[in-house]
Amino acid sequence: MNEPAIVSAPKKRTLINSLLKPIIENPVILKELRGRMRGRRAFVSLTLYILLISILIGSIYAAMTVASPMARLDPGFRQNMGKVIFSTVVLLEFLMISFIGPSLTAGAITSERERRTFDLLRTTPLTATALIFGKLGSACLYLLLLVLTGLPIQALAFLLGGVGIEEIVVSSLILVVNVLFFCSLGLFCSSFMKRTLTANVTSYTLILLGMLGLGVAYFSLFTYSSFIINSYSPTAESFIAMIAWALTATNPFSAAIVSEILLITNQTLFFGKAPSGNIYIISPWILHIGLYLALTAIMLLLSIVFVKRPDR
Amino acid sequence: MSAVVEIQGLSKQYGRRKAVDNVNMTVESGEIFGLVGPNGAGKTTTMRMLVTLLRPDKGEIHVCGHSVRKSPRDVRRQIGFMPDAFGVYGDLTVYEYLDFFGACYGIDRKQRASLIKDLLELVDIGHRHNDMVDTLSTGLKQRLGLARVLIHDPSVLVLDEPASGLDPRARVEIRELLLEVARLGKTIIFSSHILADVSELCTRVAIMEGGKLAALGALDQLSERVMPHRLLRIGLIKETVSENAQAIIASCAGISEVRPQEGLGRAEWLSLEADFTGDDKALQGLLAEMLQRGLPVVQFNEDTKNLEEVFMRTTRGIVS
Repeated sequence: MNEPAIVSAPKKRTLINSLLKPIIENPVILKELRGRMRGRRAFVSLTLYILLISILIGSIYAAMTVASPMARLDPGFRQNMGKVIFSTVVLLEFLMISFIGPSLTAGAITSERERRTFDLLRTTPLTATALIFGKLGSACLYLLLLVLTGLPIQALAFLLGGVGIEEIVVSSLILVVNVLFFCSLGLFCSSFMKRTLTANVTSYTLILLGMLGLGVAYFSLFTYSSFIINSYSPTAESFIAMIAWALTATNPFSAAIVSEILLITNQTLFFGKAPSGNIYIISPWILHIGLYLALTAIMLLLSIVFVKRPDR
Repeated sequence: MSAVVEIQGLSKQYGRRKAVDNVNMTVESGEIFGLVGPNGAGKTTTMRMLVTLLRPDKGEIHVCGHSVRKSPRDVRRQIGFMPDAFGVYGDLTVYEYLDFFGACYGIDRKQRASLIKDLLELVDIGHRHNDMVDTLSTGLKQRLGLARVLIHDPSVLVLDEPASGLDPRARVEIRELLLEVARLGKTIIFSSHILADVSELCTRVAIMEGGKLAALGALDQLSERVMPHRLLRIGLIKETVSENAQAIIASCAGISEVRPQEGLGRAEWLSLEADFTGDDKALQGLLAEMLQRGLPVVQFNEDTKNLEEVFMRTTRGIVS
């Protein structure tokens, strides 16, 4: 009994196996999902979420058709309704992930410390990377399940028209990246803070600051940009346009809305002209995804460093 | 026997306070090694450095030849650590709990299933394998903890106060379980404030105080070192004993002091404790002399494993 019984049976490698290996073989994901999906809690929250979306979409549909009963047959009206339903579902999904995401991960490491299981994990060969990705993976899988359950309602909008496949793909991409971002933010706070409550409060404060603070900066810039541009300096004009563009990308709502405007006006999904008219720039949703993925990577890297370091 | 744990010049400081100060010791393979000392002596800090949870300021620890500084992951594969107060995942069943830790050690799923079955039988909670961990009593959680530290078949078990918070029956059961585990060839290092457990189980003991190693060795050796005389427990039948029995014993050859021991032995006995100097032959002579002088002796034995006495004489109540 003296040699450790570490055995890994040789398995036939396939591409799917290799891709799913980090998820399937990460013990933390399975443990977290077992705990999360056990009992009535998961079932009840999923049902409530679907009910809420259905009631809201049903109300919007009813309100619009009651207001103009004859317009139901008009294709323009149907397309308009499709757009409204689609944007409402995406908005609700976004609100859901921004509220639930950090709460799923802000206690990921702190709760291990609080219930005194962290030391048990740290004395196993489980790496800090596996622990962080396990916690992230389980939270993301749960959130993606919530997003997936909303897909049939989104498809309803697709049936009504007014929404192209590219809009669904882009919005889904933005949602997935935001799921990763919010979960990583919670995990980052959890990895260097001692209490779950502090980690939760910090996560939500950072989200609020990010959403509102950058929003205020964006609108302030637009208010003062006309004044600066009126000084007839082309350099200032380009500079302001670039900052406005960058700020647009910092917020998922503004990134999605401006990308949609670009899609409608320029019929392009990837590149467009800046409002000033003489600069070509990439669509904000690409910038947004790039920026949020970079931030996610930085936060995950820091989380691993915080978890890895031994006690002092 | 070969050394499985080697600690050399180990030191750890928190601010200006020296928690562990130049500790040197080795633990041989198959030993049950006790670490005792007053609160704040540095036992837990030493253990946490041993299991790679704390980085030593100075010195080195080798576990089965692996350095805790250079190859902590190899050390982790060789040790099973049970902290003094450890949590459990209440939302998992007993089986899932062990399965999770087995997976953390990279044990194959199929192998885990049979391993868990065997371990649950060893710690005698097989009948609760489908119960949620939260529903177990403290004693059963401690057994589960012991099964957890054994899941990867480690060479060394490091147990910090394994019997703390347990009722007397659970304490005895854990003690027996540790003996069972030691029989499997494991090296056990454990700390405890329950000196009776330590003297019952341990082959060698280290006494720490103020972050320093105050004494180290087998209990008999420590007793000899700190107590210049042998400690005898004598019981006489009260009914037939004469009033000057204590004085008679005190006048025997080799006896330096005799003290009454209230509350020890049976109620119908007069229990005495005597300090004796002399070899085994002299001890035999003493018993013969006592019987010859008409003392109704019903108990005559040497207290060879009095860790409490050794502990009190070795430590001075210093807290680092």
